[in-house]
Amino acid sequence: MAALLEVKALEVRYGSIEAVCGLSFDVAEGQIVTIIGANGAGKSSTLLALSGLVRPSGGSIRFQGADITGHRTDRIVRSGLVQVPEGRAILNPLTVEENLELGAWIRKDRKAIRATQEKVYGIFPRLAGRRGQLAGSLSGGEQQMLAIGRALMAEPKLLLLDEPSMGLAPLLVKTIFDTIVAITQVGTTVLLVEQNARQALRISDRAIVLSHGRILREGPSAELLADPVVIEAFLGKSE
Amino acid sequence: MSGPSSSFRRILPWLVILPIAALDLFIVVRNPGDLDRLLINMILALSAFVTLHAKLLSLANAGFMAIGAYASAILAIKLGLPIAVSIPLAVMICGSVALVIGMPVLKLKDVYLAICTLGFGEMVRVLIILTPNLTGGPTGANLSTGFPYDAMKQTRTWMLVVFLAFLAFLFWAIARSRIGRAFRALRENPQAASTMGIDIVAYRRMAFLMSAMIAGAAGAFYAHSVGSLDNSDFKFNRALDILSYAVLGGSGQWFGSILGGGFLTALPILLREVLGASVGFLKNFAQLPNIINGLALLLVVIFLPGGLASVFGPGRKRARPASGAAGHDLAAPEKPAAVAAGEPLLVLDGVSRHFGGLQALDNVAFRMQEGMILGLIGPNGAGKTTLINLVSGLFPPSSGRIVWLGKAIQDRPAHRIARAGIARTYQNIQLFRDMTVLENVIVGRHTHIRTNLATTLLRLPREHREERSAREDALALLERLGLAALTDEHAGNLSYGDQRRVEIARALAMHPRLLLLDEPAAGMNEIETQKLGAFILELKQHGYTLLIVEHHMDLIMKICDQIVVLNFGKKIAEGTPAQVSRDEQVLEAYLGRD
Repeated sequence: MAALLEVKALEVRYGSIEAVCGLSFDVAEGQIVTIIGANGAGKSSTLLALSGLVRPSGGSIRFQGADITGHRTDRIVRSGLVQVPEGRAILNPLTVEENLELGAWIRKDRKAIRATQEKVYGIFPRLAGRRGQLAGSLSGGEQQMLAIGRALMAEPKLLLLDEPSMGLAPLLVKTIFDTIVAITQVGTTVLLVEQNARQALRISDRAIVLSHGRILREGPSAELLADPVVIEAFLGKSE
Repeated sequence: MSGPSSSFRRILPWLVILPIAALDLFIVVRNPGDLDRLLINMILALSAFVTLHAKLLSLANAGFMAIGAYASAILAIKLGLPIAVSIPLAVMICGSVALVIGMPVLKLKDVYLAICTLGFGEMVRVLIILTPNLTGGPTGANLSTGFPYDAMKQTRTWMLVVFLAFLAFLFWAIARSRIGRAFRALRENPQAASTMGIDIVAYRRMAFLMSAMIAGAAGAFYAHSVGSLDNSDFKFNRALDILSYAVLGGSGQWFGSILGGGFLTALPILLREVLGASVGFLKNFAQLPNIINGLALLLVVIFLPGGLASVFGPGRKRARPASGAAGHDLAAPEKPAAVAAGEPLLVLDGVSRHFGGLQALDNVAFRMQEGMILGLIGPNGAGKTTLINLVSGLFPPSSGRIVWLGKAIQDRPAHRIARAGIARTYQNIQLFRDMTVLENVIVGRHTHIRTNLATTLLRLPREHREERSAREDALALLERLGLAALTDEHAGNLSYGDQRRVEIARALAMHPRLLLLDEPAAGMNEIETQKLGAFILELKQHGYTLLIVEHHMDLIMKICDQIVVLNFGKKIAEGTPAQVSRDEQVLEAYLGRD
């Protein structure tokens, strides 16, 4: 089966900083693939390049067999690749429902949109109870749920998640990871960037370990969980 | 950067400067009156730059120019003062007016400020028309209204050159001083600047005052250069012209405005002189210069968003690594007043805060002893960040008292709380994104550098010494936080976790007695979190007191002496890590059970 996403020799630069230097990897349909790595390893930059929010300075990105390198974000979203940004970026002065509706901007079929919306409320019952509330008044965890829910409204084939557990209380972190598994069960492929490496490796099928913009390790997550280099660099000795 | 583009960048500035210089030279040769106008417009451009640089969209310049012009003319002609006296007096009158109208007007922002200041300019013009005995009224200050041309016309070109050179020196000196740095900081992020101890209201007032005085001086010179005055010289299109000089030049760097003023003044003169005279049919297009100017402005705004100045790049020195910075020990916090034994450093007493109907904090009380690490935990939305915002003075509590070293501080503005020794970082990072990492950290030293306008202008050695020590201090801190390789990068280009570390370095540069960290480990992996924990413990050993909001429970349990747990704005538990981790309510609300 051809991979859903094929990245070849991807490069991203900001001024003199080389954030991503020649990254190549594939994401197969139906999987959860996680990218872990230290700060500044190039994880977020990779996601931003995939979703067109920064322009790659080199390399190619193919999604569902078509070249999307350097395309504008709206076009990439229309093709089914949607990112949940780091820091949530929800629209505070709009209600929960309006935020979700904006997520379906690219879709026309009102009935299908309603159906997706009910599906999202099914995944996040807490949002359902707060439909009419302003998004800015939600707590951090609820905002994160809303950000993910909004991305799901576009019915993406591939969902990019940038540190969904950041800033969340321990109880909610568990909820968010459970949710990610639930999302893949409804047919969405997930590419996940996480600092919570242990949890991310547990729920993912494959993982990529980045260091200074390059791939340090790549393979099935279960293997990486036991890899001494990964343990040394990201997991620590606890537990 | 690749080779061809960088060599192009070296040439680019000259592609801008040479034509402008050529235009200017051409004008000098043709008509000395035009040269005066050119210089005056360059001065006016600087007056607009000051406010634009401070993010104040002021259109009051034409009004202040009018006040300066008429004041100096009246003082010189009606009172017979020499212009060496009348011009400075006119400038001071402008300054006084700016102080008075600045108080209400500077509370406004953006387009509201623009409209209000535009109204001020028109009001000045109306007053001029309504006082014919003093100003010549609607017919203007000319021979028929008792302002003889010969007595009025006293400005010589060299005076303008000297004054512009003085202003250039002033701007050059300020730009590299802590005052210039504070302006850049407040322009990028006023909230962060205020929690660094920068009095943003005072700085905005200073910018408005400087702008008014410079515009007033330009107006006074204008009066004595033209030899007669007409209120229509100061209509609102003059205000827009002045603003466009600074916009064309770019609000980032002062010399851009001089180029902008020069360019937009010289171009129409050139068109008039060359084209207008030689090509007959163009005579019918009286508006052509305006159209060309508009076009030039449009092209610059689209293709050079940073203005003409941006072709010169940021123009900053590269930081040299601090000599012997490696292994540099952490500086201790500054403690001007000792705390009596057993007395708390910080006390929160019945603190509540609501936003509309939402009760974010409800009657929260706790105390912190000097030298302790207090952890503040709780579910998202429990009010932790609100509490940090209250302690750092971003807004006052709805009720209750916050006592610091025995004094109630709950109503003090943020910059005064910062100066009293409380520093903070932000959950949603608030760096000065377009400043370098090093500059960000040096802003943290703002209140420790005692330079003022006078020492800056006199270039006293003390200033150089203080700047150097601030720089070394900042480099040492960056080294300690593992950011030495990134000192010259724009802060906005760094990864999330590195940005958090820069924020910590910036807060530590204040040598605060209490450091408030809002989720310092967010965006860090476990190994990085452990390193951060070790660093925080080291801070404690050096005598720092810390309040930490964090969700990484390993970190909190390991480093905190005391933990306060919030839920729905209420304190539900307080105690040692061991006590809190067994607390039923805490397990229920926050930690969860396995």
